[in-house]
Amino acid sequence: MSAIADSETLASRPGNRGAPVAAILLPFLLSMFSPMSIAPVAEAQEAETGASPDDIWSAEYVNQIHPWGGDEKAQFSEYHDYFSLKNRMQFLADRNPDILSFHEGLLGGINARGNQMTIDDYKGWHYKHPSPWVKITANVQGGDYNEFNDDSGNYPDRPDVMLVGAHHSREWMSYEVPMLFLETVVHYYGKAGIDNDGDGLVDEDGWDGIDNDGDCNSLNASFQDSNQDGTPCGPGDLGVDEDFSEQFITDMIDTREIYLIPMLNVDGVRYDREEFCGEQAYDGCDSNSPGWRKNLRDNTITGVTPIPDTDEEVNEGCDGVDLNRNYQFEWGLLIGVTPVPGVCTFGDPDLVQTYPGPLDTVDNDGDGRINEDHVDGVDDDGDGLVDEDWIGGNSEPETKFIQDLTEMNDDDGDGASDFKTTLSWHSYSELVLWPWGHCNNCQTVDDEYLVYHGVVMGEMTDYEPMQSSDLYATQGDFCDWHYGVHQSYCYTIEIGNTFHEQPDDITHIANRNLGVPFYMIEISDDPRYRAIVGIENTTSNQWLASPEEVSIPSKGDIPIGLCLENSFPYTIDTNLTHLMWRFVEPTRQQDDFGPTEWSSVPWSMAPFMTTGDQSQCSLVDGANGTLIEAKVPLPDTSVGKLQYKAMLGTTNGAFPFTYPTAEQGGNYYQLTIPYRADFGDAIFSVLMFLVIASFVWGGLAFTLREMFSEDDRVLGMPTEEV
Amino acid sequence: MDSKSEGSSDQFSGRLGLIFATIGAAIGTGNIWRFPRMVGANGGGSFLIPWLIFLFLWSVPLIIAEFALGKRSRVGTVGTFRIFAGKRFAWMGLWTAWINVAIGFYYAVVTGWCINYFQIAIRGGLSQGVDTIEVWNSFLESPMQVIFFQWITVLITLAAIWGGAKAIEKANVTLMTSLFVLLFTALFLAFVMDVKDGTLDGFIYMFSIQPEYLFQPETWINGLSQSAWSCSAGMGMAITYSVYMRKDEDTTLNAATMCLANNSISIIAGLTVMMAVFSVSADPLGAVSGGSSAITFLVLPEVFAQAPGGPVVQLIMVAIFFLALSFAALTSMISTVELCVRNFVDHGYDRSRSVALTGFAIFLFGLPSAALWIKMDPTTGVSFPQFLEVQDHIWGYGLMFSGLFMAFAIWKYGWMRYRAWQGENGIAGFDIRDYLNHGVSSFRDDFINTGDNDWWIGRWWDFIMYLGFPIMFSVLMLSYFVDLLANVDDPWNPANPNGISIILLFWGVTASLFIGFNKLLISRPVFRNVPEGADVPIDMLPGGDDPFVVVLGEEPPEIQYDTNPVSGSKLAIDAEIA
Repeated sequence: MSAIADSETLASRPGNRGAPVAAILLPFLLSMFSPMSIAPVAEAQEAETGASPDDIWSAEYVNQIHPWGGDEKAQFSEYHDYFSLKNRMQFLADRNPDILSFHEGLLGGINARGNQMTIDDYKGWHYKHPSPWVKITANVQGGDYNEFNDDSGNYPDRPDVMLVGAHHSREWMSYEVPMLFLETVVHYYGKAGIDNDGDGLVDEDGWDGIDNDGDCNSLNASFQDSNQDGTPCGPGDLGVDEDFSEQFITDMIDTREIYLIPMLNVDGVRYDREEFCGEQAYDGCDSNSPGWRKNLRDNTITGVTPIPDTDEEVNEGCDGVDLNRNYQFEWGLLIGVTPVPGVCTFGDPDLVQTYPGPLDTVDNDGDGRINEDHVDGVDDDGDGLVDEDWIGGNSEPETKFIQDLTEMNDDDGDGASDFKTTLSWHSYSELVLWPWGHCNNCQTVDDEYLVYHGVVMGEMTDYEPMQSSDLYATQGDFCDWHYGVHQSYCYTIEIGNTFHEQPDDITHIANRNLGVPFYMIEISDDPRYRAIVGIENTTSNQWLASPEEVSIPSKGDIPIGLCLENSFPYTIDTNLTHLMWRFVEPTRQQDDFGPTEWSSVPWSMAPFMTTGDQSQCSLVDGANGTLIEAKVPLPDTSVGKLQYKAMLGTTNGAFPFTYPTAEQGGNYYQLTIPYRADFGDAIFSVLMFLVIASFVWGGLAFTLREMFSEDDRVLGMPTEEV
Repeated sequence: MDSKSEGSSDQFSGRLGLIFATIGAAIGTGNIWRFPRMVGANGGGSFLIPWLIFLFLWSVPLIIAEFALGKRSRVGTVGTFRIFAGKRFAWMGLWTAWINVAIGFYYAVVTGWCINYFQIAIRGGLSQGVDTIEVWNSFLESPMQVIFFQWITVLITLAAIWGGAKAIEKANVTLMTSLFVLLFTALFLAFVMDVKDGTLDGFIYMFSIQPEYLFQPETWINGLSQSAWSCSAGMGMAITYSVYMRKDEDTTLNAATMCLANNSISIIAGLTVMMAVFSVSADPLGAVSGGSSAITFLVLPEVFAQAPGGPVVQLIMVAIFFLALSFAALTSMISTVELCVRNFVDHGYDRSRSVALTGFAIFLFGLPSAALWIKMDPTTGVSFPQFLEVQDHIWGYGLMFSGLFMAFAIWKYGWMRYRAWQGENGIAGFDIRDYLNHGVSSFRDDFINTGDNDWWIGRWWDFIMYLGFPIMFSVLMLSYFVDLLANVDDPWNPANPNGISIILLFWGVTASLFIGFNKLLISRPVFRNVPEGADVPIDMLPGGDDPFVVVLGEEPPEIQYDTNPVSGSKLAIDAEIA
């Protein structure tokens, strides 16, 4: 039990996130997050009530001035537009040619599906811009050259990551966050040991959503919630995750290929900013109309689709395709697809908003049949080929760009996607989502691993983690396609609380989301394995209530708690997660001289249940965890030892963890159960005593008297014998 | 052969003397230390019901049988089986005697513990705050101390029985009277303790019936085994002491008296322990049922050290308890040694020599139990003597066979009598009704309801002997072995001291040795200790035609060593030593 830091009872563990707790916590969380362990800060600032940010940090940090300088856009106090964003990307690429190369769209050629593609195929329907993107990796000019994508810096041994912003044009933060990420990478690459917040300490608070060094917590309460989201010292507040490791960033750039596409839907962003909402969209556009979401496909042409009519004005009630419904995997016949090509979906405006694009009219595999094998991972027509003739999807320049960037980028030539992790930024709702999106009450085979990373990123941002379809079902989205077709661990981040955030809020919201892309990059080498390791690390932080911690109620079932990491993907399915218990009593053959021997009985199972309001508990490292509880049904009259251990299964059942762990003292705990029932009724016991006493003592007296009596009476002799 | 010089037979002075002797034999540590554990572990008052029922289903009938056997045979166990079961089964008597002595080997050690604890107590070594585990471990782990007190025990026992029946009687009367006084004093103090804490919960628990326990077979099996062991039924002790009875002593009521007295003491000791533990311990039932040397030597000193009335009362209480325990153990020790001595004397050995020999053997063969395999229970940090524990397992259950053998002797007699009756009346073929009337009931008619008895024993006794006994024996044995198989790891490994093989091995080797010795055994004369004027013919018995069974004072026929060339005189002398 030495592994459990303190002996307080589980119910009364304080939820204090004080400096000492944070100091204990730091190495564990950072070891998960950073390859370079950051030394815990022993001499964290004393909790001076009333400290102000200026007392602790540099003026630059307090005022959120980014160290790379630049104009207000580069400082994230004003939104980028397409042109300033592209220029900034080009500028940074020019200044940092060793790690950054700038691209627009793809060069083209014969793509993976045998289609001849040109650079024009990736340009938006309306404004004719290809999506700008940068490739970030060390020695980006070296490595292999990819003719189709027109990029160098392809290394078979470097995992690839795709980070995509602005599928939906009105979600402006979804391209600001990637830009902050880009600025951060470029500025800090190769600079180890920077004191980002000016407090004299280096790399003391990395991205994990926790104030590891306790500086925020040392502030006067009025300063603790600088982003005013209601959570003091949470992600996005000053002093939380403010001093990350530059060496970690450098290591990531040196070992990964990052494909950053900050603004996929250029057509939509321009239209939203220039026509639909205007530059001041944050001042009222969201309340009037929710902004422009889709690309600018022209759906109103009655002629042959897809031939866009560039002269036509955008028909706002009809035009555009929802790019995040346009991917081919489980592409959505059910949600608002046009039954007849070229005819817009009328009626339900929500269906217009999520229009997934036109039906496919091409015999993709040239076998004379059309659309006979939809993209769903199944060989629908039984011809031995899977998903070779799709019904729709990947019809737009932007989605084709993603498709070909993914499918033509095969550095190691193994035929599989190099993107083991992919990230798509959206707004809003403060969520972290993972596949599936296309079906309700369904789970991927990787669910517990997806859940694990999702919950980690949820803790990093204080965003709510959930499976995509638990929010609402979406067919043909980016992540379902990446995961479903390419087995990429794909996450969707829903940033912030509105489509067009106030410019004042850009920096702190972007800061709050900065750790996520780095996390995705870090796990891109083997996200599944990292989940396994992470889950296993997590398990050592969890604990089953030891005998000293169990409080035995004076009556009824005995509750035994199990304290779990919030991120742990546990299931309460009794078959996988349960308390194994058995009650042992001294053996019947217990002898008079030996040690107490316990008769063992078979193990029984008791289900774990969530505990409602008392669900907080303190993990081994002191952080807050979730308490679940099993109740052992033991009669109050039982006296003996309760032996128990917990079996902990994850959502997919791959991990049968047992508690207590080896470090926590062996394969089961043993709890002494005293007699808890009433000892009996006084009246009845006196009566019983009288019965027994008169029987034994009375009997004794009687026999003694008979033995010494003088008469020759023989007790019990039948009369005929006398 | 100079036992003849005593001239007349050795006798108790009166009925009271016999009763005290038999009660002293029956009452032992089991009443004071096993009984409270059983009550605690088996639902308090619920346990008392099977315990009382089996008193009348096992102990009383068996003691009645023992008295009847001994009263007629007028010899110890070996001779009794030789007479009642026939020559070929004399080894059963040897088994019975052996079980008794084998238990005696380690019982002397245990008695030594009690005496040691008494002397520690009076020197104030068990006062409040003393770590009783430390006291226990350091004592058990110093073999010289354990052996010293074992030696003291043997000396006291030998002193008590040196003078024969009269001395035994005197020692038992003194010790038992003291035991009653001591126990009642302890009971009173415990009662005060239990009342002082506001509730009489120890009393209430002990006399509250928890119905669910009555539906558990374990409660009944425990009730049976407690009854079987506690009264010493089957030990052959009643056979031995009835040798010293006057001619027309009643035996049936003696059996009931003895068993009821035994149970009376159990209740007093049980109440004392329960009330004391409940008044002090936070988890009284855990303390009471948690292993036995634990409660006696670890829990109780702690409990009594918290008695109200200050250090003096506490010291008195601890001292009283262990003195009572020592007395109870000593009286049982006396009967154990006497049983063995009786068998030697029966076969013509000098009493003093026999007493010395037995005492020395008990000391010598008790040494392994005192000092061998002193282990530490890793979960509790309490030392325990594993060799002693194993011995207890083996011979405790071996005792059950002795009971069965006695039943066998009775069955055999019944069958023989039925055959004889058939012959007299010219009836061939088996008839169950005739068998019941002229066979089954014959032992009872001939040896129990003799007219001297105050208590006429009905047909129920036959049912118990013929049907109840084998059933109860089987249930006990089966449940024991099933329990062993279910709960002991690797039970068949002979090296496992808790396993089944080691028990079967010991039983098997002992039984085959004894069966092998049988021939030598019956080649020696047996001298019956028949009081003057008593009419105890044995000619109708299976061993009645044995010329070597003679009444003390008669000359046995010339011993013909050459009847069997295999059993030469050398072997015969070896048999004497055995």
